[in-house]
Amino acid sequence: MDGFLITVLSNIGMISFVALSAYILLLSGQISFGQQAYFGIGAYVAGIATVMWSWPLAAALVLGAFVAGAAAGLVGLVTLRLSGIYFAMATLAFAEIMRIAAELFVYRREIGGIETGPDGIDGFRDIRYLFANDISPFQSCLIVYALLVAVLATLFIVERTRGGRMLRQVGEDPLLAEVNGIDVMRVRIAAALSAGAVAGLGGGLYAHLLTYVEPRSFDIMLGVHALAYGLIGGLGTALGPLLGVLIDIGLLESTRVFRGYRMIVFGGLVAVLLIVRPRGLLDEVAISRIRQALRRWRHAGD
Amino acid sequence: MLDVQDIVTAYGKIEALKGVSLAVAEGRITCLLGPNGAGKTTLMYSIAGVLKPRRGTIRLGGVDITGQSPSAVVARGLALVPENRLVFPQMSVAENLEAGAYQRRDAAEVATDIERMYARFPRLKERHAQLAGTLSGGEQQMLAVARALMSRPRILLMDEPSLGLAPLIVEEIFRIVAELNKDGVTIFLVEQNVHMALKVAHHFYLMEQGRVTFSGEPGKLAEDEVIQRAYLGTSRQTSGDTTSSHKPG
Amino acid sequence: MVALDLAQNTLDGLMVGSSYALLAIGFTLIFGVMRRLNLAYGPTIMAGVYLGTAAFISLGAPILVVLAIVILGASLVGLYVERLCFRPFGEGARTASMVASFALWMQIEEAAMHLLPRHMNPFPALVASAPLEIGPLMLRADHLVMLAATLLIAGAATYLLARTKLGLAIRAVIDQPRAAAIVGIDVERVMMLTFVLASAIGGIAGFLIAATDAQVTAMIGMWATTKGLVAMMLGGLGSVKGAIAGGLLLGVLEAHAQWFLGPQVRDMVAWGLLFVLLAFWPGGLMGAKALDRTMAVGRRV
Repeated sequence: MDGFLITVLSNIGMISFVALSAYILLLSGQISFGQQAYFGIGAYVAGIATVMWSWPLAAALVLGAFVAGAAAGLVGLVTLRLSGIYFAMATLAFAEIMRIAAELFVYRREIGGIETGPDGIDGFRDIRYLFANDISPFQSCLIVYALLVAVLATLFIVERTRGGRMLRQVGEDPLLAEVNGIDVMRVRIAAALSAGAVAGLGGGLYAHLLTYVEPRSFDIMLGVHALAYGLIGGLGTALGPLLGVLIDIGLLESTRVFRGYRMIVFGGLVAVLLIVRPRGLLDEVAISRIRQALRRWRHAGD
Repeated sequence: MLDVQDIVTAYGKIEALKGVSLAVAEGRITCLLGPNGAGKTTLMYSIAGVLKPRRGTIRLGGVDITGQSPSAVVARGLALVPENRLVFPQMSVAENLEAGAYQRRDAAEVATDIERMYARFPRLKERHAQLAGTLSGGEQQMLAVARALMSRPRILLMDEPSLGLAPLIVEEIFRIVAELNKDGVTIFLVEQNVHMALKVAHHFYLMEQGRVTFSGEPGKLAEDEVIQRAYLGTSRQTSGDTTSSHKPG
Repeated sequence: MVALDLAQNTLDGLMVGSSYALLAIGFTLIFGVMRRLNLAYGPTIMAGVYLGTAAFISLGAPILVVLAIVILGASLVGLYVERLCFRPFGEGARTASMVASFALWMQIEEAAMHLLPRHMNPFPALVASAPLEIGPLMLRADHLVMLAATLLIAGAATYLLARTKLGLAIRAVIDQPRAAAIVGIDVERVMMLTFVLASAIGGIAGFLIAATDAQVTAMIGMWATTKGLVAMMLGGLGSVKGAIAGGLLLGVLEAHAQWFLGPQVRDMVAWGLLFVLLAFWPGGLMGAKALDRTMAVGRRV
């Protein structure tokens, strides 16, 4: 496979984690402008773990996801009673605080004769774990997708359990859910926590695949894009956000057909798409239709 | 005056009105009774232009107003006192009344009409500078009626004006309804309070599950039965002997 | 000496804050009637300012003509945003509206970059006189113009809302949209007019800030959206007074933070204050009440 294609595929995979993160919160009925914060936390923590503490990659990724999840849980706790624009702005405020904190964050040490570590606004460079361990871009891409599939599988399973149904119910009508005996606050915190962890995992991968991370790579643009992906692809299934990423990065950014005009085309397209399908391409109705078609097709085969 | 023919209004795939026909005669009080979820409020909103019917026609004074915007319907002389009153909570009583006269261009006349409203509803005069959201339920209902009258309507639609109010206030509301009617306003009233409604109505309809199931004058059907059907919607047992009387007007 | 610094910072902050206040007024008007966030507000302003800048650079348009072009451009682009992102959606699709406005943000910014590809462009300066000295304090003349313009526009907006028929209609739509329709207000038209009005106010704010800097950068769209949003949220949603208070507060806060802590911490302080305020005092400084909560009840009723 050629290098460009692998890079594009890896990018799609990594950004999908943030998109899924925003999607989980959308399901719980909350709009977050700040999932990029957890992406950034995961990136910095995992990077520090492999570079400064010489941890193995797997452990570093887990730590990154864990810290990001914990931070998201805490923010979730503080913003529990907020909804709508208040929640969106609080999450954005937190993400911007984290981004500026990263601009001020300097943690340098000499590792193997070279000074390294996060260096404020210049970011955190030379995260060379993959290179040092002879992991090829293709193998890295496989790692990304293996983890993405694992996250997706978990999401699919959870969506079919009581917890998943509770999540959607809370998202659709929190008051009704409360009346039905669902602990709305707990569901929301659980959603925030897992969304943070998913974004953190993506961030950890991102830092290692790109070998560097800068505060500017997780600004508001990433957060709002992540949110938009779910709405473009559809809120009916966890595949929706992935479709959104695929359309944006895969089709528009990478094919270079619309170079210089990509956003003019994409922006207009998305606005018109949302008029026709306000809950995205793969919305709940589309998903139930596809399920029915699949069932019919399976029965016809019997 | 108001002529509704075979109206179908749906929310997505669910038809709330399944072909409703009825008529409101000029100068009279017509009542629409029925259990919760029968589609009464949907019908009111369909007539007022807030909801767009899928099928059927609505005529006001002979003019087809089906599917027109609420502001066009108001311009034709119809005013709605909506369910739950829907006053403007962050605006003063006086501003609520001014908003009711939004389409009128005769500022001086509007000012005298506001004085007239204060004469009719003295409580509103006392509270004219107060925010509407701070009024009691009964006062808000008075305000909603007064606001609707500010457009000088030929026909007034009232959606459950007695909902959630104390009996004394309910009586006052119905006294006002009768008074307004005497002054020449045609009234189309949706009610749950069957007893009071039948007392003032010249004509009434029963609506159950999106359909009109009875039409007649008060006294044509025993009040007990009306109550039973208006609250419980028990048309299954009695539909056989009432379909014959289902003639609008 | 510290007292003097504090006074000077407060003064500077009030001046810059007045432009934030204008942005917040526009934001709050749009949010009030739409109940949805217009993320393309900043880029709308950017489009107006860029059109004005282009006229200035290529035709040498005088400053008043530039102002007219900025206002007109922002109004037209605002109309475009309203048509594509707000009118087609009901209140039920608030997220879709917001994401659509984000999509147009990207679109408008790229279009603006085609118009003026350089990161920084010259803009006609407002007043080129030397700073005034009030005792030991310095006051830039163009800042004074900015403050005066803000007060004028805020006064005009308050008058419009309180005393005119359109103002009555706007307040009615903000307060109870369904009731507004029922009394015969053409809600869609009011929304459109409010949108255009807010975009024009935003255009003036963008013009003032570009004219005081005598230059405009590609960051102005992002800047206007975030500053306007923060100022609006600080003041509390849905009130012009709150928007002004929020804008001035943000300006003063930033001026102090910049002086004592540096530019990076300045932004952090603003966001930090917003976060704390939202978490513990979501109504904002002057917000009538948490709008979302009333809206949730409204939907149920």
